[in-house]
Formats: sequence, C-alpha cells, structure tokens
Amino acid sequence: MASYHDVPVTIRVELFGRAQLACGRRDVILDVVRNARLVDVLTALAQACPALVGVAIQEDRASLYESYTLNLNGLRFVTQECLHVQAGDTLLLFSSQAGG
Amino acid sequence: MYGYNGKALFVDLTSQAVRWEDLSDHVLQRFIGGTGLGTYLLYTHCPTGIDPFDPANPLIFVGSPLVGSRLTTSSKFAVLTKSPLTGCIGDSLSSSFLATELKKAGCDALIITGRSPSPCLLSIRDGAVEFLDATPYWGLSTIATEHAVKTALGRHTRVACIGPAGEHLVRYASITNDGGRQAARTGPGAVMGSKNLKAMAVRGTQTVPVYDAEALDVIGRDLTQRSLGPATEKYRTLGTMANVAVFNRLGTLPTRNFQQSTFEATDQVSGETFHQQHFVKNAHCANCTIGCEKILVTMDRGPKAQGRMEYESAFALGSLVGVSDANTVLRASTLCDELGMDTISAGGTMAWAMECFERGLLTRRDTDGIELRFGSDDALLACLRLIGERRGIGDLLAEGSYRAAQRLGQGSAAWAMHVKGLEMPGYEPRSLKTMALGLAVSTRGACHNRSSAYEADFSARVDRLKAEVERGRITMEGEDFSAVLDSLIWCKFLRKAFADLYAESAAIYEHITGYPMTADELRQAGERINNLKKCFNIREGWQRADDTLPPRVLTEMLPTGIVQGIGLSQADLDMMIQGYYAARGWTPEGLIPETKLRELGVVELVC
Repeated sequence: MASYHDVPVTIRVELFGRAQLACGRRDVILDVVRNARLVDVLTALAQACPALVGVAIQEDRASLYESYTLNLNGLRFVTQECLHVQAGDTLLLFSSQAGG
Repeated sequence: MYGYNGKALFVDLTSQAVRWEDLSDHVLQRFIGGTGLGTYLLYTHCPTGIDPFDPANPLIFVGSPLVGSRLTTSSKFAVLTKSPLTGCIGDSLSSSFLATELKKAGCDALIITGRSPSPCLLSIRDGAVEFLDATPYWGLSTIATEHAVKTALGRHTRVACIGPAGEHLVRYASITNDGGRQAARTGPGAVMGSKNLKAMAVRGTQTVPVYDAEALDVIGRDLTQRSLGPATEKYRTLGTMANVAVFNRLGTLPTRNFQQSTFEATDQVSGETFHQQHFVKNAHCANCTIGCEKILVTMDRGPKAQGRMEYESAFALGSLVGVSDANTVLRASTLCDELGMDTISAGGTMAWAMECFERGLLTRRDTDGIELRFGSDDALLACLRLIGERRGIGDLLAEGSYRAAQRLGQGSAAWAMHVKGLEMPGYEPRSLKTMALGLAVSTRGACHNRSSAYEADFSARVDRLKAEVERGRITMEGEDFSAVLDSLIWCKFLRKAFADLYAESAAIYEHITGYPMTADELRQAGERINNLKKCFNIREGWQRADDTLPPRVLTEMLPTGIVQGIGLSQADLDMMIQGYYAARGWTPEGLIPETKLRELGVVELVC
C-alpha cells in the first residue's frame, strides 16, 4: 500500500524570462509525489519541457544552472532536497540574478 | 605612478580659472576612485550648508584605477554633487567611452565650480581647457547636443551634456554621455544646468601604465570568461526587464503610485513581451562583454521611438503610472532620455500627480486641460514634455514629488513616494523587508543600488515578508560591498562573477596600481566611504527622522496578489533601523561616534 507521501499530486511550474521563451509556454503541469525531491521535479520538468535542458536545467537533468532559482508559491525559495509539495502548489522558475 | 594620473583638474566657470592638484597616495589608497574618491572630494570641496544651485557647489566627475585597463565592465565614472533633489550627497554612475577619455586626458577627477555667464561648452583636450560658446546648442535634446558637438569638434570626441531638463533646472535632470547613457539619480544634470554648462567635450591621448600588466592580463581573460557564463545570463538575454513579470508574481511590482504591488496588465509590458515584439539588438558599454542593453523600437503607428530601456524605466513609466501600452512606455523612456531626466523620479512624480488628480487635488485647470489619470498614455507623454521645459503643470512636477507635495499641500505628502526627496525605485518595501531598510537608511535617498539589499530578499537567506533586527547587518554588508564596486568601479552586473569580490579585487588593484591592498583593507574602504557619505549628510542637516519610508508604506496593507494583507509597521522599521545603526557601530540616534571615525582614519577630515 502506497504511503501518503507517495501519492501523486499535481503541481504547476510557471516559467519566466529565457525559460519561457525557450519553451514557448508560460507554464507546465506536472504530476509528482508529495515527498518529491528537487531532482524528481527537475527530471519531470525536463521530460515535459526538453527545451529547458541546457537553458535552466543542466544536462544531467538533476540540477539547475546557478543562474536559475525555484520559488514555491511565490513565498519561499527552494533549497532543500525535499520540497514537500502539496496538490495545487506552484513552483516559479526564474533567474537567480535578482534586481537590476 | 601606476593606475592613476594622480591629478585632479579644477575648473571655475565664473573666472575661467583652471588649476591642477595632485591627489596623494594616501587619499587614493583609502578612497580608491569612483564614488569613494568622489565622496572625499565632495566632502572637502563643498562649502557647508550651500544651496545645491549655488555656483560654489562642485560638480565632480571621477574615474577609477580600473578605467583604461581593458578589464570587462571597467569603463565607468561617477558624478557627485550636493543633490538639488535631496540636499544630501548626490552620486550617480555612468559608463562607456567618456570614462576612458577623461583618464587619457590626464584626469582622475574633474571638479567644476562657478557659473558661466552664458551657455558654455567645456573642452578638455589632453589637459588643455577651453571655454567655448554653447549658445547654438542650448535647447537641443541630449542626443542632438552630442551629435552637434561631435560634428563641431570631431567624431572621436567624447561628450557629456544636459538636455532641456537640465537647462530648466528640473531637480532630477540627468547628465548624458555616449549616445544615451545617463548619470541620472539625484539630479546632477540640474547642477550642471545651474552652471550654464551645456556640455563637456573630452579628448585624450595619454596612457596610464599598470604595475603588472602580465598578471592583470591573466586575470582579465579569466574574468571575461566568467562574464559570459551563468553569473550574467539574465543581463545578456532579456536584461533587467525580466524583473517585471517576476516582480508582479511575487507581489513586489509597485503599481499606481504604490497603491498596489501587482499590475493586471503586466503581460503587456513585461520583459518577455518587449523581447518578442520590440527587440532590435543588444548594445554594450565600452570594454564590456556582458552587453546588457536592449535596444527596442515602437511597433505601432505613432511616432517612432527607439532606445534602450531598463527595468526601472519600464516600471516607473509603466505599472507605477498604470500605463499598459508597451509603445507608450518605450516612448516615455526615450523622451526622458532626450529631455535628460531620471526616469524613476519622472515616473514617481507623475504617479504622485495622477493620484492628486484622481483625488481632486489637481484639476484640469491646473493641468492645462490634461486628464491626468492613471493609465493615460497621452497624459504621461504630454506631462513629461511639460516637465522637461517647466511649462504649465510641468513647473510644479519638475520639483519632484517631495517639493511638489509641500507646495500643493492638502495632505498630498501622504502619497509622495520618496525617501529624503528621492523617488522610490521599483521594489515594493512592504513585501521586501530587507530592501525596506536599505531604502530607509540609504545616504542618497530611496536608492536600490547603493545597498542591493533586495539580494537577500530574493534568496533563501531570509523570509522577505518578515522584519528582523538582523537585516541591519545584511544591509550594512550590502552597502559596503556596493561602495567597493562603485569605487573601483565594477559594473554591478558583474558582481556574481566573483567568487570573492574583496580578495579578487584587492589582487587586481595591486596589479594595476602597485599599491599593496588586502581583502580586509578593501572591505574597510567600503565602510570608510559609507561613513564619510553619512558624515556629509549629517553636516548638511540630516536628522534621525530622515531615515524612514513614505507614510503609505507604514500605514497601508498591500491589497492584491500573494502578499495581500502584508504591511510594514513603524515599530518594525524602527527595529530594523536600530539593528542597522548597531551593526555600523553608530549611536541609537544614527550618529557616528568619534571612535568609529578614528578607526576608519577619517577623524581629522571630519572633526
């Protein structure tokens, strides 16, 4: 029997800047498990949006380039391996170079 | 001497007297160049308590040891004066060929005082100074002025000039150089205009040797490689305008005079939209490998406008005034550049006026019939033209939001969005608490660049919605880091390319100048420079109450987006300010103890 944390949930990833232009879309819907690690999300994201590989996602499909960052629901920058995502969560993918 | 000319050129426009003074090793090593050396020169040459438009107020152009070295992004200069907008220290940075030309002409610094009896074009050729008649150029736009001066004096001449806004003493007028680059914040162009100095033409042929060219070359090539990597990716692709959509999503995009922090029409004025529909090409400053500048063009049937635009202009002339047409935003930005005025202060003052109009404090009788409402493209463009020539309502708005609110009264100061008289940049302080502190305590007013305090808010280091005493230390470190960047001078967009800014820059400084420098000494130079800036403000009348934020920020909650219901209390701001003063080693009243001045080696200068 699958545990609570292994149940798939649907999340949205919003793309900004060059990531959006490379993919030609503003967002993508992903199914991931609740206890998904960052690598799981990036692997799913790379599969859904191959154009992100080499732009925001490194060739290993397991990590972001340092020039990008992920933010959970616009409130918290993602650093931990386990994201603890909930159904309906939104991840924002944008440049890590703040400001101007 | 290596890396420096070791000389400052003093020009008095009243008497047309010219003299050179040596800059001592002691001063150069402690204040570096750029903003740091400029702060020292302003402190020592600006008479206490002077009106910014008094002829004795010095207008100071300062280069740096890095200028001419061919290191990427190093062709920059600083402009310092007592600001006509804030009455505090006014310092702005600009870049490109004028920086290298000043150095080749023999100057590390150029200090201009006095007032010419008629419009003047100051020509500096390898140290030889001439006072030429600028009457034919008076009234021309910045772009037309530069073109005309180059036509008259040769196309390799480098020009800094003012447009109509500077001539009419618009308090946020800019100085323009190299085809549209601006030293704009705090209004140095108005001081230049008050001196009847329309333009400055510089040509030089001298070279300044570096101490260890071989070592510098190795570091320079490595730095160039890093400048083309992930550390600058945003600036090389969409540029700073990429901020628009992200800031909107995070609830940090000031909208309709900071009444909201999200803009419903963001998609129409986002960096992505500008890139897809208006992009012409990238442009570079001299010696820059990043190429952050985006040259854009209008795409509608209106008058064609083409120029560069940054996030701050896009926000100030877009969401802040409720304008959602990308062509209008670009047209307004280009118009500000041609008139020669700061886009942030222009947009901020316009936003204040639009709110006054919508509240009934200004009427069509006051505005020459202009329906001055948020979102009105025509009103924005018409008023910017009036401001640039101080006609009609433009005369009031040319004063900036602080003075305009003082003059209009009726409670309108409550929505004049400024700190110390300088209009707020495009960072909503209620949803960026570290930035809120940075804006409140900055010596040049509401400035995002002199602390870069937003860096912490846009990272996992802090909870951006929470006020904490620790933000004081973070802000102080950001200010000292920025002071070093602005004094060497590196472009801020290169900052992430350094693994350790202080250690790497200290080594570079040694290779260029031959002066020994450690990372700690460079860090202390940043602290020294910021303390001297504060000393200048204290001398000119700064009071504790000046370190604050506009009433709206401290009394109204954000009404939209994911930050709905978030505010910033006076108590939380005061708590962070006390944390900042404590981190700086200042008194709870924000004053600098003599022990701190002694520690920084400026006690004889100040006391």
